[in-house]
Amino acid sequence: MALTKEEAIKRARADLAKRLGISESEITESKVEQVDFPDLALGAPEEDEMSGQMITSGWRIELAAHGQRYEYRADKNQLRLFNFKGVNYRV
Amino acid sequence: MNRKTFPIHLTLATVLILLAAIAGQIRREWQERENRLARQMPTQKMGELMRKRAEVLVRFRPDVAPQEIARISSLLHDNIEDRIESVPGLVVIADEDGLDAEQVADQYRSLSNVEYAEPNYVINLEPDPQSATATKFTIDYSLRQADDPDEPDDALFPEQWSLKNSGQRGGKIGADISALRAWSKTTGSQEVVVAVLDSGVDYLHPDLLKNIWVRPQNIAAYNDPELGQIDDKFGYNAIKNDGDPMDDNGHGTHVAGIIGAEGNNQIGIAGINWNVRIMPLKFLSSGGFGTTKDAIECINYAIDRKRAGVPVRIINASWGSTRRSRALEDAIRRAGEEGILFVAAAGNTGSNTDIVPHYPASYRLPNVISVAALDRQDRLASFSNYGPKSVHIAAPGAEMLSTWPGGAYEEHSGTSMATPVVAGVAALVLSLEPDLSVNELRTRLLDAVDPLNTLSGKIVTGGKINAARAVGAQ
Repeated sequence: MALTKEEAIKRARADLAKRLGISESEITESKVEQVDFPDLALGAPEEDEMSGQMITSGWRIELAAHGQRYEYRADKNQLRLFNFKGVNYRV
Repeated sequence: MNRKTFPIHLTLATVLILLAAIAGQIRREWQERENRLARQMPTQKMGELMRKRAEVLVRFRPDVAPQEIARISSLLHDNIEDRIESVPGLVVIADEDGLDAEQVADQYRSLSNVEYAEPNYVINLEPDPQSATATKFTIDYSLRQADDPDEPDDALFPEQWSLKNSGQRGGKIGADISALRAWSKTTGSQEVVVAVLDSGVDYLHPDLLKNIWVRPQNIAAYNDPELGQIDDKFGYNAIKNDGDPMDDNGHGTHVAGIIGAEGNNQIGIAGINWNVRIMPLKFLSSGGFGTTKDAIECINYAIDRKRAGVPVRIINASWGSTRRSRALEDAIRRAGEEGILFVAAAGNTGSNTDIVPHYPASYRLPNVISVAALDRQDRLASFSNYGPKSVHIAAPGAEMLSTWPGGAYEEHSGTSMATPVVAGVAALVLSLEPDLSVNELRTRLLDAVDPLNTLSGKIVTGGKINAARAVGAQ
């Protein structure tokens, strides 16, 4: 089933809370915007991933917790965490 | 190797293998314990565990006999999953004792008779068929009269700015590949086969159906010693290891339409080739995940078919990453030695690939062409990679209308879309001169450019592909 923007935000918050070991109530949404990503891995490939070189529309979801910002990227098929401690993750 | 030191090398190699074998035995016992636990797991959990089995691509030195390769892999408690026949010494190793891919690769790297070993890289393709960047087109089945007697009568042809730019939607008149003039000389040939190495192709799409490669009866079914016999009626699916490369994603069908949607059939679009044979090779799943190993299996398949008499002369590769794989590079090199041109996407991060290479486009091989993307005003597309030394040619790649699974049409952008323009022009050239060598074909394409100021100093040729010039049309 296609991922909606709301569902992507919900999943991103849950994922970040789990990674940081904090409550979701400690996480705020800094910004959510629609953007075009450079490829089908949303410009956030995991190590070793290759992707089709087609521009893909989706959402950039910026979350904040304890003074730090975290960037998630989503489209209707997937959610990714971008550059978390130098590494990209497919959530 | 020096004769005096040979016994020392031999002893060292044997010791290394034995040490690795002992370590492997310990891990194997651990793995057997895990397997016992796994047998008590639900089927789904079991499946997840099985899927985690590490795969590694190992290339042994040319003088290592197959029996020796089998002996070494057995000692290391691994299976030989497949031998890549087109690349001597290259095998796919499957781990049986619970190591991860990097650990397995390290075991083989430590052996003196191994050239290289690398984990089987995962290739990701996450399509967004509902993407806002995708413009869907309603199929107009009413018969269209072409405005120009030289134009094909396909209903959506007026939207195909890359073939005839009449200034539609803010475009620049004439900023196209001069397709109409090229078509005065050739509209392609079904004697030319272009392999689309991608997510498969919707081979039942009404605009592609007649141009899909079907294995001729006089060509035997694909037979691989390890993978078995495959009824490759429409091509090859490396994920399922069968002969059904149906596209469950969309990306590959879009690419295929640019190369060879049937032209002048009154429906949909016109491909650069009105007549051609598209060979679908599927290595990317519906979810977008594939592996280097499956890409190599597909290239190996194409080489095998070429040797069997199928005129596969071009492979289109509209994908990539910054990760280099020597095994993939070797497979592409072998394809070149078999007379197959490999056309690849330069990438979409707007960066200079002289500095940050993008593979497979950045492999410096004599059969590789790296393609940048242009917009409808003859400008380098904002997303397109470039490289004065590493990107060879540019082609239209923004807002490109093409076929989509389910008989649909969509507009998409990317160097993914520019790549099949060059592959398509290559096929047009071969329809007239099928005996051109790879080198001659590549030179012809790179010489057949319209120089553009916007590309000067940005890419090797500084120009855009011109189909008419490539086929020698006036």
